[in-house]
Amino acid sequence: MSIVKDIPSAKKPLKRAYVGIFLWFTGRAIQAAAKVDKEVKKEFDNLPDDFTFSLGCLPNGPWMVIGKRNGAVKYLGGNPSQHKVHVRLAIKSVDAAFLILSFQESTALATARNRLITDGEVPYALAVIRILDIVEVYLLPKIIAGLAVKRYPKQWSAGRKLGGRIGIYARTILGI
Amino acid sequence: MLLPDYYEFCCRVKIVAGHDALEKIPELLTERGAKRPLIITDKGVASAGLIDIVSAAQKDRLFADLIADNVPPDSDLRVVNQLAKLYKENDCDAIIAVGGGSVMDTAKGVNIVVSENAEDLMAFSGVGALKRPLKPLIAVPTTAGTGSEVTQVAVIKDHEKHLKMAFGSYFLLPDISVLDSRMTMTMPPLITAMTGMDALSHAVEAYYCLQKNPLSDAHSLAAVRMIYHYLPIVAENPSDRNARLSMAVGACLAGIAFSNSMVGLVHNLGHATGSVCGVPHGICMAIMLPYGLEYNMHKREEAIAGLLLPMAGEAIYRETPPAQRADKVVSLIRQLNADLNTITGGRHARFFKEVKDREGKPLVPREVLPQIARAALSDGASIYNPEDTDYEDNLMVLEAAWEGIPLDRNKIKRG
Ligand SMILES: [Fe+2]
Repeated sequence: MSIVKDIPSAKKPLKRAYVGIFLWFTGRAIQAAAKVDKEVKKEFDNLPDDFTFSLGCLPNGPWMVIGKRNGAVKYLGGNPSQHKVHVRLAIKSVDAAFLILSFQESTALATARNRLITDGEVPYALAVIRILDIVEVYLLPKIIAGLAVKRYPKQWSAGRKLGGRIGIYARTILGI
Repeated sequence: MLLPDYYEFCCRVKIVAGHDALEKIPELLTERGAKRPLIITDKGVASAGLIDIVSAAQKDRLFADLIADNVPPDSDLRVVNQLAKLYKENDCDAIIAVGGGSVMDTAKGVNIVVSENAEDLMAFSGVGALKRPLKPLIAVPTTAGTGSEVTQVAVIKDHEKHLKMAFGSYFLLPDISVLDSRMTMTMPPLITAMTGMDALSHAVEAYYCLQKNPLSDAHSLAAVRMIYHYLPIVAENPSDRNARLSMAVGACLAGIAFSNSMVGLVHNLGHATGSVCGVPHGICMAIMLPYGLEYNMHKREEAIAGLLLPMAGEAIYRETPPAQRADKVVSLIRQLNADLNTITGGRHARFFKEVKDREGKPLVPREVLPQIARAALSDGASIYNPEDTDYEDNLMVLEAAWEGIPLDRNKIKRG
């Protein structure tokens, strides 16, 4: 008992690990997508210069932080307390995070079910959600992405999908 | 049927409705240990004689008639702070808000300032910043539309800093809402029509948006039944007090439904049109409502079809083949707009190109549609709409709503 009490974050280690890896991967993928995908780039262009957002779970993380620094979009690691965050997407628990991040529930539905809390100015938060949706479409096979976003973008050209996917995966893995 | 596996529902407002509900206020105040309420209202409400009715209804009961009637049409931080000062200086212990959306928002803002002794209202903005109950607030709506007498949100504008502060908390729910037919009796047909369509849009959007659940559904269905039936009646016979009371209750039911289930495309594009062109909210709702249904039809056909029963009644519902019910709902709503247009001598607008200002100048020129489509991307209501919307989708819907032609459903992008 005492061990569990002392280290509450050690509960559900597998789910936490999954969520942590997912956030790390998505963070780097967003950095990559900002270079590869025109729409993601445009969304970031419309955001303020030092724009920063975080995505993670309550109460003790894990988190990821993305920010615009000198015009470039960067994955800034997993510690939001070091940054002034404009938008925070906080998932209420690791369990809920697992549901959302394993794509059993869309971001919109998670919001509707009060599992995802959005802090920050609404226009910015909406831009972040649009960016996450696009990146999910690149990272995931259609059958899974279809669950993660409201509407799978069928109208994207094969070139955008394939080229973007290869570019984003390569950059994500290499971290560039 | 759509049964979400998780949902929340909350409405803890005591509702007092009747042709003489105002007479109950002194007793309601006493129950809450309050003696000196501050009445917050606006000039329009006061000059329509509604405050006189509220005051007269208190008869000889102890009642400090401290009345502030300077709420502007758009909530304003300066007025909130000024009214809070008035409240404190006069040792008030409750608030009675008599009016429409802006009065309710202002009263909620004043309540935060006086209850929390807030220097800076901004510190309490956002969702969940309030941690404890506020002073007793009695809401007396004078339109049958916004539903803000039962919602937990308030929007206050800081016109000096050009900021819009939004507040969300169950503590912002009024303690009591008093629905009295006398409060809406003098509303002219045009305002009756547009505010009533706002209420209908709350009930309908709540019934198809993402957060819908069996509890919000029950309120939606009851609201649709009452509003759809009574709106043309009150527009035609403004002094029908039973119809007035029914509209007040219908709008209240719709408010309960949407504050738990949220709203979608209709409000999303409606808010954007309001902010770009200054079109009154209810007019935007009346025009957009059929399009919200059409746009989401492929995802919500069953739910939309279900609205035919409360609207048209059992006989027509049974006569209509199931595959045509959803379409029938859309055409009945278009017909309702057409009827309201006739009743108001052509003043109730059915499409955006019909919307004119007082001088007869078009309020929504076609060239601004792209600007509205873009502005809508920054409005939070898009989150709860069943189907996704991007700039092109918004523009397509706005163009149809401008022209007054049904949406070409083959052109709606699907996943
Ligand atoms: Fe509304």
